Amino acid sequence: MKKGDKIIVSLLVLFVAFFIFERYVFSKSKADSVIIRSDGTIVKDIPLKDNGEYLIKSKEGELTFIIQSQEVKVIESTCPDKLCTKQGWISKQGESIICLPNRISITITGGNNVVDSTTY
Amino acid sequence: MNKKIIFVLLIIAVLTISAFVVIKNRTDSEYLTTEIYSMNTVIQINISGKDKKDATDAVTQEINFLNQKFDDFSPQSDVSKINDNAGKNAVEVDNVTIEIISKALECYKETDGAFNISVAPLSKLWGFKGNELRVPLESEIKQTINLVNINDLIIEGNKVMLRKTGEAIDLGGIAKGYTLDKIKEILPKYNLKSAIINMGGNILTYGISNKGNWLIGIKNPREDGVVGKITIKGSKFISTSGDYEKYFIENGKRYCHIIDPSTGLPSDKIVSVTVVSDKGYLGDAFSTAFFVLGKEKSLELANKSGVEIIGFDKNLNPFFTDGIKNEVNIEKGG
Repeated sequence: MKKGDKIIVSLLVLFVAFFIFERYVFSKSKADSVIIRSDGTIVKDIPLKDNGEYLIKSKEGELTFIIQSQEVKVIESTCPDKLCTKQGWISKQGESIICLPNRISITITGGNNVVDSTTY
Repeated sequence: MNKKIIFVLLIIAVLTISAFVVIKNRTDSEYLTTEIYSMNTVIQINISGKDKKDATDAVTQEINFLNQKFDDFSPQSDVSKINDNAGKNAVEVDNVTIEIISKALECYKETDGAFNISVAPLSKLWGFKGNELRVPLESEIKQTINLVNINDLIIEGNKVMLRKTGEAIDLGGIAKGYTLDKIKEILPKYNLKSAIINMGGNILTYGISNKGNWLIGIKNPREDGVVGKITIKGSKFISTSGDYEKYFIENGKRYCHIIDPSTGLPSDKIVSVTVVSDKGYLGDAFSTAFFVLGKEKSLELANKSGVEIIGFDKNLNPFFTDGIKNEVNIEKGG
């Protein structure tokens, strides 16, 4: 093989590698995480395995939630109806806790085997 | 030799361009997810495709515009003006308000009055309009039911009037579905791949999902999580009415926010019903009507009007129309 041929072959290999890599990266399911939106904007993205207590603020108020053994629960909120604290634990992908008065939402995402949306 | 170099360069150029195209397509087909608070609920907008940003802006604008007209909690809305002037004046309202009221009247007729926007005074009596939740006295219910009369809603041109003081309308059972209809008219103006919009449980699916068919979960009426999943092909509207979103329990009995206009009492025949339809306003209004009507009448009316339904009776046993049986997956124990 001449020098030029080698360059061509390596370039072709690079391109093939790129297309395979691209497919792999995008088809791989992402790890489970907890996405928190305050006033409609994502303010936190926490891996579901990160146990702990988290305080989220919005223009309307604030709430505290905990992550414990892959489950999420709101334990305190400044909202009047406290529906978010009454909801209890969520653990499945696609599930969320929404505090309407505080305009804060907490959603578990990740995986592939999950519904696109839930009707209620 | 020169020809060979040109040929190789050409191949490299083609490969480079296709690599960029692949990356661009990937980025375009990823959903742009936006969450907004309007219509007294949370709305999730997910749009994919080249124009997703512009389309999201247009959708948000439309929702806020319609909310301004329909929101009975805002004193400036068309609905509040109509209600505040009940028994006094005819009020000039926007074209969209005339249109949604006409559609609500159409749904009233088709459901034999089970869907009735003039039920608002009863909702207020039971405390579902932001006041104190309570079981009213029988005499109060009897008195208030006299204020529920759709024929007292008079429309002339762009003017609307309620005949008696104390009468009121509430578009809560149709506004979200109607708004989704309007959104579905906007989306084709943009270069998009697909979209899924969830307005407080009312869903519009648009186009083909990134995974092919859409998979929609039905909220479990008594526990966290979903009770079943529906496979949806292409663009549809999905609406649910249930007794678990707004309710209170007194002396062990559950009272939910959907009032049967014929009795003045909260409906309790079934616990949840989901409608899949081609028209958003109809799916929204009919889900309320089906909840009031119960299993048998709902199945009958659904078959007559060409919508598909999945409902759950008090023992959480599911019932379906034939057209959707094979598209529904009920979770174990559901």
